[in-house]
Amino acid sequence: MRSTTSNVAAIEKDQYSDPPLLILASLANGPKHGHAMVEDIFLLCGTRLGPGTLYGAISRLEQQRLIEPLPPEERRQPYRITGEGVRVLRTRLNTLHQFSKAGLERLAML
Amino acid sequence: MRPVLVRLLLRLYPAHWKQRYGSEFSDLLQSEEVRLSTLTDVIRSAISEHLSPTVGATMNRQIDSFGVLVKRPSALLPLAMSLGALTVVVITATVFGINRQPDEGTPAHLWQLLMAGQLPMLLFFVIRWGPQAPRQTIYVLALQAAAFLLAAAPVFLLHL
Repeated sequence: MRSTTSNVAAIEKDQYSDPPLLILASLANGPKHGHAMVEDIFLLCGTRLGPGTLYGAISRLEQQRLIEPLPPEERRQPYRITGEGVRVLRTRLNTLHQFSKAGLERLAML
Repeated sequence: MRPVLVRLLLRLYPAHWKQRYGSEFSDLLQSEEVRLSTLTDVIRSAISEHLSPTVGATMNRQIDSFGVLVKRPSALLPLAMSLGALTVVVITATVFGINRQPDEGTPAHLWQLLMAGQLPMLLFFVIRWGPQAPRQTIYVLALQAAAFLLAAAPVFLLHL
């Protein structure tokens, strides 16, 4: 759960901050454990998720059955995106794509 | 991050969460540097987990327990309010005797508030937990009903 204030702060720092969406996007190219997700998300968009935020979002996504755990590797627990997770990610990304396209078109008219 | 600090931070989380994510979360925390932003992030997340606990998925086993469910605020508060109402009755009867008061005084209003105030909480409890753990919800409701009757019985039996 992230506050509006922290979202605004993230936007000002040019970071995209939607932990569940970032995790789904990270898992879209294969299963990963927590540490690998943090690094992948950082490479993907420059946002470094804190451990509490990451696991807060992982537990919610697992609760919603958008991701699922795989057999553990030592103490690390890999996760993979589910079919429903893929569908949700695709819908969200399409919405964002339409939004950014419309926003950029408006900016071009300035 | 040092294991001592990791253990300390992990203590901030609810037991069922630790049971499910504790090991992997500790592993991640140990690979992190100690920064104020990291500590704030973990503390905020732990508070959030207490306020709005994760349920379902692989957390089902832990939630499907009477012991866990009865410790939820929406289960404990009505029980505490019934016991509070009973305490008001006992103190009033001890101090003023069991004669019916001509006017409804402060104790009577307090008793009414405690008894009526728990009804919305009971409703919230049923809506929040009923669909996820129906059997345990019924057990907790039975306990709450018993406490409610225990607090109401002296008032009606002794015509206070």
